[in-house]
Amino acid sequence: MIEVNDLTKYFGNLCAVDHVSLHVENGIFGLLGPNGAGKSTIVRILSTLLKPTGGNATICGYDLAREPKKVREVISYVPQEMALDIKLTGRENALLYAKLYGIADRSRKVDEVLELMELTARSDDLVRTYSGGMRRRLELAQALVHEPEVLFLDEPTLGLDVAARTKIWRHILSLQEQGIVIFMTTHYMEEADEYCDTVAIIDHGRIVALDTPERLKSEMEGEKTSLNDVFIDRVTTPEEESVFDGYKFRTMLRRRR
Amino acid sequence: MNATWYYFERDLVKWIRGKVTVFSHLVTPAAWLIFVGLTLPVTFTDNYLEYLTPGIMVMSVLFAALQSGNLVIFDKVLGFLNKFFAMPPPRESYLFGTILFITFRGMIQATVIFCVAVLLGITIYSLKSVLLTYVVLFLFGILFASIATTIALAVDDHDGYAAINSMISMPLFFTSTALMPYDKMPDWLQMVASVNPVSYAIDNARALLSGSDPVIGEIVMLAVGAVIVLTICSYLFRRATL
Repeated sequence: MIEVNDLTKYFGNLCAVDHVSLHVENGIFGLLGPNGAGKSTIVRILSTLLKPTGGNATICGYDLAREPKKVREVISYVPQEMALDIKLTGRENALLYAKLYGIADRSRKVDEVLELMELTARSDDLVRTYSGGMRRRLELAQALVHEPEVLFLDEPTLGLDVAARTKIWRHILSLQEQGIVIFMTTHYMEEADEYCDTVAIIDHGRIVALDTPERLKSEMEGEKTSLNDVFIDRVTTPEEESVFDGYKFRTMLRRRR
Repeated sequence: MNATWYYFERDLVKWIRGKVTVFSHLVTPAAWLIFVGLTLPVTFTDNYLEYLTPGIMVMSVLFAALQSGNLVIFDKVLGFLNKFFAMPPPRESYLFGTILFITFRGMIQATVIFCVAVLLGITIYSLKSVLLTYVVLFLFGILFASIATTIALAVDDHDGYAAINSMISMPLFFTSTALMPYDKMPDWLQMVASVNPVSYAIDNARALLSGSDPVIGEIVMLAVGAVIVLTICSYLFRRATL
């Protein structure tokens, strides 16, 4: 499904993605890593928004560099920012996507995806009145109008409360059961642990761990290791390496008063 | 091609639903017409309102176009372009849809001006002259909508764009033939005005609306300019990283 070979991306002198190779056949694939590790860059390259500096990838057999249009027909990309037109209704937002994808029977398809995401009752309200969780589900509905084979989700549960997150995950799981490959990034290790079939931990643009959450945990010493422990063990970020100096911080706060 | 229309439709519905913006877009140019057209003590014509109307019509298309770069900036900053560009329609369809909408909105504003001017008593010579005026406004709108979106792509932050917009929109308007004819201008202004595309649009709108023949050379210049800027803009747009 997704075949990534030696993918590399430079922004000027900064190497954002460093010879990454991946293979995802099915299930939910989670890309973990600290802020600025290159997760979003990888997703943006795979969803044809950025051209890689080196390496290549194929999605459903289509070459990213040579057949970007074919790739776009079989994927959906939901970025971190919730980009919905708040002056349009939920249905109108979804309908725009059905039109842009050139869906033949679009009003039926839109009804179907709204139903699937449990938005039917509110579908004719302006998105302005939607909660964060509903907006995210509407974005998933938009992403499903053309029945994609691969779904790229960049931090799908970011900024949502626990109930909304659980609901989003229930939907993502049911999509995966229908055979859609999910390629996602997240900062929530517990979520990755619970829902992802395979995870890759990426640091400074390089893959430092790639396996099932179970096996990554079992490689760690000690009892009851969590994916969090694996993450902290494998990842080095300069900012977090320096120890928090409580005394200095408190002095600083006192001076500000 | 269909996608262009869908993007156009999206912008249009969003604009109409923002009731306050619609009201202000339609009232502001009308205020110009009334407060300048009916009050300025000019001596070169005995019907200044009739002289000024074409200038204000072109002005409203110009200002509407230059402001609208914000549409692109918002779509870019808020992540819409990321989603749109990961879909099959070519990137240009978004660009053309937006440029068409910007032009169309400017022409609606110009129409409001025209109606107000008719109510205030300007003469309409023929339907053909009005229609040809709209062709000129359309070409002019495409030219400046393309310029606006090109600037928006290059600047990509809201404040920077607003600064550039206010820096160029007023000088473009005041160095044109909107308020006075070439022979009433100081020499230096005459020179600037004669190469200002805003003058080309105004000269033609004025000629047509007063029942004379259009200045074909200037219309051709507008059309060629529109095609060139649109081509540059599409090229930049296709290569842009978001």
